[in-house]
Amino acid sequence: MKALLVCEYREGKLLDTSYELLAFAERLGADTAIVLVGDAANVPRYSGKVHLAHVAIYGEYNPDLHKELILAAVDRENPDYIIFQHSSYGWDLAPRLAAKLRLAQVSEVVAIAGDGFEVGCCNAKMRRTVKPSTAKAVITIQTGAFTPQGEPQGSPTVEMLDVAAAGKVEFIGYEPAEEKDIDLGKAEVIVSAGRGIGKKDNVPIIAALAKAFGGELGASRPVVDAGWVEHSHQVGTTGQTVSPKLYVACGISGAIQHLAGMKKSDFIVAVNKDKDAPIGEVADVLIVADVMPFAQALTARLHK
Amino acid sequence: MEATREIYWNVGHGVVWPMYLLAFTAMFACGYGFYRRLAVYRLGRPLFRLDRLPERIALLVRNMLAQTQVLRVLEPGTLHALFFWGFGLLFIGTLLIMAQADFTDLLFHVRFLKGTFYKIFSLVLDVAGLVAIVMLGGLLVRRFFARPEGLETIRDDYVSHALLFAILLTGFFAEGARMAATEIGINPELARFSPIGGLFAQPFVGMGPAELSLTHKLLWWLHLLLALGFIAIIPFTKLRHIFTTSTNYLFTDLGPKGGIATINMEDESAVQFGVAKVSDLTWKDIFDADACTACKRCQDRCPAWATDKPLSPMKVVQQIGEVAFGAPEASLCETVTEDVLWACTTCRACQEICPASIEHVNKILDMRRNLTLMEGAFPGDEVRTAINNYEVNANPFGLAYAGRGEWAAGLDVAIMEQNSDVDILYFVGCYASFDNRNRQVAKNFVAICNAAGVKVGILGKEEKCCGEPSRKLGNEYLYQMHAQENIETIKGYGVKRIVTTCPHCFNTLARDYRDLGLEVEVEHYTTFVNTLLQRHRLKLEPAPFEFTYHDSCYIGRYMDIIDAPRDVLRQAGGRITEMDKSCYESFCCGAGGGRILAEEKLGSRINVARVQMAKETGAPLLVSNCPFCLTMFEDGIKTGGCEGELAVRDLAEIVVERIKA
Amino acid sequence: MKILVCIKQVPDMESRFKPDSQGTWFSEADLAFRMNEYDEYAVEQAVGLKELLGDSADITVLSIGPDRVVEAIKKALAMGCDRGVHIPDAAVHGKDPWQVASAITAFSQGKGFDLIFTGMQSQDRGSAQVGITVAELLGYACASTVVGFEYLEGSVVVRRELEGGGKAVVRMPLPALVTCQLGLNVPRYPTLPNIMKAKKKEISTVSLGELLKEGPLAETTSFYPPAKSGGGIILEGDVAELADRLIGILKEKTTVMR
Repeated sequence: MKALLVCEYREGKLLDTSYELLAFAERLGADTAIVLVGDAANVPRYSGKVHLAHVAIYGEYNPDLHKELILAAVDRENPDYIIFQHSSYGWDLAPRLAAKLRLAQVSEVVAIAGDGFEVGCCNAKMRRTVKPSTAKAVITIQTGAFTPQGEPQGSPTVEMLDVAAAGKVEFIGYEPAEEKDIDLGKAEVIVSAGRGIGKKDNVPIIAALAKAFGGELGASRPVVDAGWVEHSHQVGTTGQTVSPKLYVACGISGAIQHLAGMKKSDFIVAVNKDKDAPIGEVADVLIVADVMPFAQALTARLHK
Repeated sequence: MEATREIYWNVGHGVVWPMYLLAFTAMFACGYGFYRRLAVYRLGRPLFRLDRLPERIALLVRNMLAQTQVLRVLEPGTLHALFFWGFGLLFIGTLLIMAQADFTDLLFHVRFLKGTFYKIFSLVLDVAGLVAIVMLGGLLVRRFFARPEGLETIRDDYVSHALLFAILLTGFFAEGARMAATEIGINPELARFSPIGGLFAQPFVGMGPAELSLTHKLLWWLHLLLALGFIAIIPFTKLRHIFTTSTNYLFTDLGPKGGIATINMEDESAVQFGVAKVSDLTWKDIFDADACTACKRCQDRCPAWATDKPLSPMKVVQQIGEVAFGAPEASLCETVTEDVLWACTTCRACQEICPASIEHVNKILDMRRNLTLMEGAFPGDEVRTAINNYEVNANPFGLAYAGRGEWAAGLDVAIMEQNSDVDILYFVGCYASFDNRNRQVAKNFVAICNAAGVKVGILGKEEKCCGEPSRKLGNEYLYQMHAQENIETIKGYGVKRIVTTCPHCFNTLARDYRDLGLEVEVEHYTTFVNTLLQRHRLKLEPAPFEFTYHDSCYIGRYMDIIDAPRDVLRQAGGRITEMDKSCYESFCCGAGGGRILAEEKLGSRINVARVQMAKETGAPLLVSNCPFCLTMFEDGIKTGGCEGELAVRDLAEIVVERIKA
Repeated sequence: MKILVCIKQVPDMESRFKPDSQGTWFSEADLAFRMNEYDEYAVEQAVGLKELLGDSADITVLSIGPDRVVEAIKKALAMGCDRGVHIPDAAVHGKDPWQVASAITAFSQGKGFDLIFTGMQSQDRGSAQVGITVAELLGYACASTVVGFEYLEGSVVVRRELEGGGKAVVRMPLPALVTCQLGLNVPRYPTLPNIMKAKKKEISTVSLGELLKEGPLAETTSFYPPAKSGGGIILEGDVAELADRLIGILKEKTTVMR
């Protein structure tokens, strides 16, 4: 079995998530080759073949061209699986490849389930097993679902890729994320507020709990969207991805965007009224209680 | 010597013609002024407000002649009422003089202003004049020297105070001049019956006859001209309220309180919903603006105004007037502003106290209808979310509709779908169905029914929001959608009697649903429990407690249920300490009018203000009987820092603990 | 300008999901349905564009599924789409994204749509494939997960959302397809006159058989709740007591209390 892994490169850097593709391929028990639109100085630490196309020629985001480049690598490798991260790069490219090759695509795989793949559905509340009917398939894997074991090492054999094609989409440039006044990435403890705290007035109470832990205040997207908390505090795929020693989710039901941003935390405590909230799935401790009284009780207890 | 006086003394009968000419001119000016205003009232849509005439006339007598509604606010009310009666008597006196001199005497040689009647007449008018002057003085001090906050004073106020004083004083001086010549020292027996006139006569005593005659003539004419000027300017100043406010008593809304027109959703020709412009109002809405005396009683009681929000019900009414008379094509919602319109909790305190029979709440709701139905506007994104939640799951929380009946699991409650053989249908409402705190109330109410042997049924997942918050936010479409579904379900089970724990559901089912065809008897659990107690179906073991009670708007002001909750709590062993603002003057918790769904972004918190009032009674317990109030007070106690000093509980929670086993 | 908006009706995500009798999708009992959230952004964007362009723009809204999806089409019409197309299919949940995309492609072919808007994914299946596949099959330029949209004579400039909150700005010529993400816009609330007007708008029916010639490329073999992670403890009870218990656990299992 062979897997072609499509690594990601953005703003002059190879993305770390590339190693998750390797971890997944290892779980699959597949031989691997990598395809990357990047530069020779930034290839993954990996003992195998990397089909490299120069970013200087093909650009960082040009889906039509990247599709052609990956197709060229597919021609060379004839893989059983073409594997992407389920990211803004991967979910954008994977269907183009699948359509072109008339292959099944399985999106955002979280686990391997027999001869199929487990994927989330219904806002992460449920799961389903999807089985490709085609002999080969395109897969995107959920960020954080397959963590690499140990430090990656090795140096690959690089083979250059060239195609002659024109893209329809013209990349103009990047816009940075909004300025951050705090760096959640460095916090040891993050206490996050979700819509379940009820109202903006309750934010200081959650902030006080964060302070009592010596940590920072985080927030879910709805809370930020509602203007209760600044965007710089947002945890999740559109905010910051964090991995503190302790993450306390207060009144966060656990939309997938949020879970993806915090589930690598060492220890997760979720406080929620609803026992069945998806956050319970990643929590080490789920406190089933009214959020605000509990937060106040815990703050008081920490101050003792 | 006969006790009487010569009418037209000194001025002579020759004045009759010029006097009547001037009088008719003044009356014409007055009539013309109102005629001009009538054209503006007619900009509004038609509305029939002259049915049930005897009731309307009774209202007119009570509120105009007896000044009942004016007297509800004691100090300014008394000043106004006494002035009104005093001035009114003087007016009647003048009419009697006119009647004798130019009618009965002229045509039939009948004079009735003589003898004892004249003596009484003299005395009464003298005293009335004095009272009017003193009261006017009181009103003047209040307005110009000890002005209460919020009382706005405009040109009209200066003009009317000055004019009224001048009329009263010239009247007395003219009388004084006449008495100096005809009664003082000449007919002291008669002068005794005009003590105030006697005082005013003092400056004239000793004046030469020619000089006195001239002075009297001048005073007489001055008095006449001032009085006629007064009549002429009535429609052009705030004085118009003499007619408009009185007439407005006739036009009082006699329907059930809180009634608002049900929009016909089937009418495909309709192009405008709610009020955007003056022409979308009814004539009564415009007339209301003319009936407003700017007494600011509504503003004083408005919970939004009291917590520094931009809404003043008085200003809304006045702005409608300004637009109608000034720029009738202008956008009312823009003039009044969205912030003002969304701030209203529909608590009805304004309308309850209004001495002019003005309907504030529906004006605001009608404009909200325009915002919601025509512009898709919301007071905030949180309300947009809640409305979307209503549309999908029929509750504001967005929780799965199928879980609506889950609170009742394991209780002795029938789900109608499975068993509709029940005594009452308990219409639970969204808060008691989904909110943990209020679920306690629902469970307690069921326990009370169980103890009294009342078989209770609920609709469970078939129940939808009653639609009240949507409707009060102006979303008639969503309201009717829920209402139709509920009515169909309720009718389908042949329900005879509905009890609610939520006053908002109660009002909506009992009143609003009538328009859509639900005729079932609906009751709030407060009166239901009270009846169970009276009939001894429910027995309590009273245990003493101190409390204060919050009249929820939709139980007190809207439904006139004031005594029942107090009776129930007394039977439970409670000793009440009333808040200053209680019963009909109760101060809203802040959640009415759909505000339960909205963040309170402007001013300070209404719920905190109310909790503070409860705390000031010294009672450790605040009892309410509305899920919105309970929610607001639980929050208010926390945000207001009253934890440990004040607790809030629902009436059902008090009762259930005292049920005799 | 001809615009197509593809929408899906999905269960409200607050619902409790239970597998159906085949165990491959959810049972529809007790579910409340609504328009897929991301598709609402698509509808809003299309309607917003029409407001900009005036009556020269014509918006078709398309949905595949059982009869209940007409409700979602009606909402899109009330929001301002011009005409609706319903492709009835009671078993749409059994069609894989490839088949759905193929049907949409077959419908769109030859109709000359200048712009197609879809949601970035459906909230229930969450494959994030259909829109992009349609673009690929039609040969349209395509950008996914769009949070910013600007129409410039003959082309569109869009902002794609990237991980970490940054955005990539790209320009595409027409015809093009964009898949819409949360943050793109705030979908309007339909006004009552528009709801009434929508009742008179045409909703035509196209049979799936005419459009779909493709078999599935993947199948769902089972549908189930996620397994609870092994270490998770659920605590319930009095808040003060819970706080004490939690602190005990944190002392034992983490280093943050030291």
